[in-house]
Amino acid sequence: MSQLLNDIFSFGDRPFSERIVLIVFSVVALTFPWLVESAYARAVMIKFLLIALFGLGWNLIGGYGGQVDLGQAKNVGFGAYATALMILHWHTPFWLTVPVGIFFATLESFAVAYPMFRLRGHYFAIATLCVALAWKELFIFWDWTGGARGVEIPIRPTPDFTFMEFGEVGYHYFIFGLFMAQFLFMNWFRKSKLGYQLQALRDNEDAAASLGINVTGTKVIAYCITAGLGAMGGSFMTVYYLYIDPDLVMPLDLSILIAMTVMVGGAGSIWGPMIGAAALIPLDMYLGAWLAGGGHYGIDFMIYGLIIMIIAAYEPKGIWGVIERVTKRG
Amino acid sequence: MRGKRLMVWLVSVAVAVVIASPAMAAEPKEIKLGYILPLSGPLAPTGKALREGAELAADIINNKYPGLKLSIAQWEGIPNLGGAKIKLIFADHRGDPGWGADQAKRLIRDEKVIGLAGCYNSSVTKTASVEAERAGIPFVNGDSTSPALTKRGFKWFWRVTPHETWFTADLFNFLDGLTKGKAPGVKAIPKEQIDKLAVAVENTEWGAAALAAIQEFAAKHEYKIVEWFKYPHTAADLSSEARRMMASGANSYLFASYLADSILFIKTLKELGATPRLIWGQDAGFVEPDFPKTLGAAVNGILTRDLFSPELGKVKPVTIPLNELYKKRAGYDFHGSSARNFVGVQVWAHALNEAKSTDPAAIRKALNEMNLPADELLMPWKGVRFGSPFPGDTQQNEIGSGVINQLQGFPGGKSQVVYPFEFATADFVHPFPGWK
Amino acid sequence: MELATQLVTYGVLMGCVFAFVALGLSLIFGVMNIVNFAHGEFMMVGMYVAFLISSYLPLDPLVSLPFAAFLGFFLGVVSYRLLITHILRGPMVAQLFGTFGLMLFLRYLVMFIFGPDVRTLSHGVLVGKTISLGWVSLDASKMVAAGLCVLFFVLVYWMISRTKLGRALRATSLDAEAARYMGIDTEKMNALAWGIGAATVGVAGGLLAHFYYVTPTVGMLFILIAFATVALGGFGSIPGAFVAGIIIGLIQALGGHYLSELKFTFIYIAYFLTVVLKPRGLFGW
Repeated sequence: MSQLLNDIFSFGDRPFSERIVLIVFSVVALTFPWLVESAYARAVMIKFLLIALFGLGWNLIGGYGGQVDLGQAKNVGFGAYATALMILHWHTPFWLTVPVGIFFATLESFAVAYPMFRLRGHYFAIATLCVALAWKELFIFWDWTGGARGVEIPIRPTPDFTFMEFGEVGYHYFIFGLFMAQFLFMNWFRKSKLGYQLQALRDNEDAAASLGINVTGTKVIAYCITAGLGAMGGSFMTVYYLYIDPDLVMPLDLSILIAMTVMVGGAGSIWGPMIGAAALIPLDMYLGAWLAGGGHYGIDFMIYGLIIMIIAAYEPKGIWGVIERVTKRG
Repeated sequence: MRGKRLMVWLVSVAVAVVIASPAMAAEPKEIKLGYILPLSGPLAPTGKALREGAELAADIINNKYPGLKLSIAQWEGIPNLGGAKIKLIFADHRGDPGWGADQAKRLIRDEKVIGLAGCYNSSVTKTASVEAERAGIPFVNGDSTSPALTKRGFKWFWRVTPHETWFTADLFNFLDGLTKGKAPGVKAIPKEQIDKLAVAVENTEWGAAALAAIQEFAAKHEYKIVEWFKYPHTAADLSSEARRMMASGANSYLFASYLADSILFIKTLKELGATPRLIWGQDAGFVEPDFPKTLGAAVNGILTRDLFSPELGKVKPVTIPLNELYKKRAGYDFHGSSARNFVGVQVWAHALNEAKSTDPAAIRKALNEMNLPADELLMPWKGVRFGSPFPGDTQQNEIGSGVINQLQGFPGGKSQVVYPFEFATADFVHPFPGWK
Repeated sequence: MELATQLVTYGVLMGCVFAFVALGLSLIFGVMNIVNFAHGEFMMVGMYVAFLISSYLPLDPLVSLPFAAFLGFFLGVVSYRLLITHILRGPMVAQLFGTFGLMLFLRYLVMFIFGPDVRTLSHGVLVGKTISLGWVSLDASKMVAAGLCVLFFVLVYWMISRTKLGRALRATSLDAEAARYMGIDTEKMNALAWGIGAATVGVAGGLLAHFYYVTPTVGMLFILIAFATVALGGFGSIPGAFVAGIIIGLIQALGGHYLSELKFTFIYIAYFLTVVLKPRGLFGW
């Protein structure tokens, strides 16, 4: 037990400077609502934590596993819909809906994982993309889930911990809590047996197989865990926006944003998702808000595209790659 | 020591007074209104037209336009607020409900707007109005038509435009009128020539709502829906769908499509040589300036469910100078959606003037008591008064109405009002002339 | 019967268009194992070339096809030299997102220059003309697009399998290292594959503009269909792309008739079932 706790909370294998950064980050995030009054800055912070949380989950299969999954939004959708429909139809308390969302996302991923992991590399990426798009269209089609009309959750006038509705300071701590839970889970995971096996097969699948690692089995488990982690964030989205539809929780853009966040930050590093989300989300949201009034169509996406190209071409390990190189040299 | 502490106190009090005094001033010189629109992405052209409409209204409120017969043209700011100017602060929602909510937060609490307007896409209006409801500030929506929006019982949400239920009711009243010979320029049309309907809607929130309303009213008015389907929004090809409508033997085709799909549908029907007697497009794509601009003569004879036509000037003189002012800014005529955004800002101005304050409660009272007469509006409405026109509606303008236009004489043509029959600006062309 | 023949005709015609769009994608993938997200944007640029030439010059949009091909070739080579050659050295994630960034950049550059408006060609010998075959009337420009599609497929296939250039390309795709030792300039071969791939889709775009609307965001929809096409046919297989294009055209024509709102779902499911049974696609090696 204490070994498990140690694995979860210990960053002993990381350099001292990283531990300091983690403490600083936690302190800043915990005091953020008291430091910053701007509502938009708080909304940006919540979005940052949400996307970083999605990135953490995706990093498991995409970073540690090296399997580029372009369909994570479908799992976000499963979580969001499980929460929304259960609250709406049966007034189920929020925390009971989360495991249901995780269950369905994991189940679906398990069902499609075996055929999909017969594919490698780009083939796998396109397959995940197609499956996610098919699910989105099915949710638009399906009347019981509200179809394209989406699902609306009633607004509760006072803070409510059963259905997790409150002001944005509340949402800030809520998402920060979820984020830290997944962050610590990932900290445990990267040092676990499964984590090592996954990294081994990423680096060389044949060598890993010859060492007796069950390649497909490991990938399938990783894929299912990733799905469950994504569904958790989806549940948060439902109570945060109080309205969901397939375009909000299951779009291709979200799948790509999640994967891109990790790639920009640094895939396969525990810090990658945080760094990526910190680089992309504020840039996107402030640039978009600042340019929108001016009548320039699309200039924010142009800059966005340019940055992505530069990182992909010159720093494929992402921003974390730069940091690592600089610190090692110094 | 004591003197020093006293000094500190005095200085802090002085600083506090200096900081606080502008906030305490009773008359704001500028009233900030948040305006959320789709200004980038595929809906950007629409967003631009809406923005121009809203900006024109703000300009007329803030400056003197002696020739215009509207009360806001004489105001130069909000009279009961010491001539304070309206300042619109635009935000882009990209068609994404999540972005809409975040922008609403920014406008409400960072920009300190006194109220919100927008957002065109019903799904974005849903999330953005949740933020307004939570913050307790008024949201006056001028242009989202999903019936669900005013059925949520929100305290801080008002809708100026009529919603889908109306428009569909209008359509069937219009069809009934045709069979009774009420349309100018044509004799009574036998009901069996127009009573078989084929309905194509996109599979979005809005399309689904439009379809449900059509099914309900068709049953009530005894029209037969011989074919209906939803199709994927932005399709690559609609040949099979168009063929299915033609094969159904329907004589009236009804559509709910955004611009890209409406263009593709009409092109495909033309290519396949369809011969319906009547084509009716539900707002959106069919009323965009790009629709006739793109398709030219192929659009002649198509009916559009709209709220406005520049031709209304013939029966409603105030729209002529307004449309000219708009055209000078935007380069094209007012259309239903941009005109509604004009009215949306106008409603805001009247509400502020009646409230005599920017306090949300006072604005809320003014909105609920508002009774804006018809001659203040460029729309062919009886006015603006919030109530419950259909079961379940709250704070919905109950005396608005839609129009049905017919596109005539393109390229270079006009969209002529044919319904309500008393507002008709040209003779009705029937049957649909085909693809000449 | 009439229904069936009509649906099949629509399906095959549109299938040719999808195959045409997928041709370049398949070629690029075959040579260097990289999925090009910006492919739909190359197509969009071809559409804009047709639109601009026919609107601002007294020329028929058909004349624009060589220009579209040329501009496509240029764009392809420049993209390769400035971007792709760098990202090929990186991990797969970087490759996917490099072209994704290119896609965003091109799409919004065009939106910035020409605005977000939807446009269509207003005149041209093929625009709006229909050909009646008795049981079905068809858009003349779709027929021409289908014809040119077949021609281009034959040309590219012939070039790959019969010419010296094609052998060099194939050698590069099989083993770039070995090809270099054999004295093949693999960099040049890759750039050429990008140029040809982008040129073919530029032509496809120029033809598509005859019967489809032109707007900066038009590429996304076609690139998704093209991905499914290439993956269904087998990555890198030229005949596979053609057959898969026709299959997808048929699925969406039949789906459009029977259950329109799910027609894309059917395409994705068909693709998924294919890879379950045959992971390399129909014609994959």
